[in-house]
Amino acid sequence: MIEVEHLSKSYGSRLAVEDLSFTVEAGEIVGFLGPNGAGKSTTLRMLTGFLPPTAGRIRVDGIDMLADPVEAKRRIGYMPESCPLYGEMRVREYLRYRAELKRVPGRDRERRVDAALGLADVGSVADRVISQLSKGTRQRVGLADALVADPPLLVLDEPTAGLDPNQIRQVRDVIKGLAGKKTVLLSTHILPEVEASCTRVVIIHRGRLVREGAPDRIRAIEGGSSVLVVSKAPEERLVVALRAVAGVEEVVVRDRDGDTIRYDVRASGPSEGEIALAERVFSAVAEAGLTLRELREVEAASLEDVFSALTTTDHAAASNPPELPS
Amino acid sequence: MIAIWTIAKREIVSFFLSPFAYVVLTAWVLWQGAMYTIFSMFVAATPIGSASETDPLQMLFGQTTLFFLPLLVFVPVLTMRLLAEESRQGTLEALLTAPVTSAQVVLGKYLSALVFWAALWLPTLMYVWLTSRFGDIDWGRLGATFVGIFGIGAYYMSLGVLMSAVAKSQISAAVLTFMSLGMLFALGILQFMQVDDATLQVIRYVSVWQHMQAFSSGIIDSRYVVYDLSVAALGVFFAVQVLEIRRVEA
Repeated sequence: MIEVEHLSKSYGSRLAVEDLSFTVEAGEIVGFLGPNGAGKSTTLRMLTGFLPPTAGRIRVDGIDMLADPVEAKRRIGYMPESCPLYGEMRVREYLRYRAELKRVPGRDRERRVDAALGLADVGSVADRVISQLSKGTRQRVGLADALVADPPLLVLDEPTAGLDPNQIRQVRDVIKGLAGKKTVLLSTHILPEVEASCTRVVIIHRGRLVREGAPDRIRAIEGGSSVLVVSKAPEERLVVALRAVAGVEEVVVRDRDGDTIRYDVRASGPSEGEIALAERVFSAVAEAGLTLRELREVEAASLEDVFSALTTTDHAAASNPPELPS
Repeated sequence: MIAIWTIAKREIVSFFLSPFAYVVLTAWVLWQGAMYTIFSMFVAATPIGSASETDPLQMLFGQTTLFFLPLLVFVPVLTMRLLAEESRQGTLEALLTAPVTSAQVVLGKYLSALVFWAALWLPTLMYVWLTSRFGDIDWGRLGATFVGIFGIGAYYMSLGVLMSAVAKSQISAAVLTFMSLGMLFALGILQFMQVDDATLQVIRYVSVWQHMQAFSSGIIDSRYVVYDLSVAALGVFFAVQVLEIRRVEA
């Protein structure tokens, strides 16, 4: 649905987005993550045809945004970050105007406006003047605007910013309800949000792509996995056996209690052939003819840990992101 | 085409639903009423059959430079919000990410500006009615006058739209429009200076003074019509370019 190739944007000498490439397949809900100033909004503005890119290509549903912007924009429902609206208009009036502007045929317009009012849960304020609405309600009017022309693709720039927890849940439910029917690309800071509603995430930092993939997968890869091993087996032999396990990076003795020793075993990367680290450790120890008293998985890193690891270091800018199997 | 009308319609409805519109229109009608009264008194005091025979309508519609004085203020006030307000509020982003082009946006705004212009002149028809009750009206001359008024409107409003695209706030848009209209207006004074013939020709062509004098005397001079429409087209064209540049910098 979206194909972005080598997209760059510079303001004078400052590069806001640098050689960014990613794709979003039809029906996916993709979270677009990055710290403030990473170039998220700039990228979304280029995707929706507001900003012309300095270099690169954008295709929406196969249509080149630069060659045929009007056709490409017809397929997008966009909700800008600050959710700008005309304060003097009434909600229904505004949505009618937007529907007309987005070329919803006259006979469908009322029906589409009602549907959008319902989906975004702003039916009760349909006849209120926009400037009198609370921030959360305005935000949902913006969402209704994105939905009003029934576009196949929704691009939402921080749709839950400034909402209270109940409203966040409402917006999340709306987005989840669109799963399968629409393609959604949304940027957000709220990471649990992403885990709850996104099938895939794209993380950028300093205008460059750092990771792309399913949230749990990124978590597993970046955070690695670790197990706690407790054993009375001879230390040297056990450590050798543990080190030989595929993917294991580190074996540390946590503490000793007589001849019972507790080890922390850390592995990097995804599980080899989807076999969990604990299973690999178990068979390796058994093969070495040693025994264990206890083997336990340690809680994996949260997406938040991964996010902060990826976006606070320079390794993002220094290396090309690895191609992940999806 | 539909998009242009959609944008213009929103602008027009917003304008006429705001108290601002009525403040502006009331002030305008008061000014025009005062002018009509003064001109009527002046004409009444002129001896019948004198060489400078004229009628108050002709004076109101461009025989004097008083015609332009209020326009230098009212045009900026009417056009200042058109694009500057969209940039300031951020609604320009929503507007330009809808399936419309920058040209359609500017033309929609321009169309609404022309409707505001028409709204200014509509009430002046009551002076036509008043005059017709006390004397004869030269309808041909009146028709020419309104062609001239439309031309000036096309010209002034396009500059207003352009300045509203350039400026980032309504106030600076108004100031820029006032400055540019004022300067173009002041050009007219040069014709009273000792200049060579060629320069005089150019000034006469560019000057709005000559312009409305011709139309209000019943002369439809196609050079002026061409001039007005060219400036209008240029203003709109540059406004589109400014919007495009504004997007690159946004």
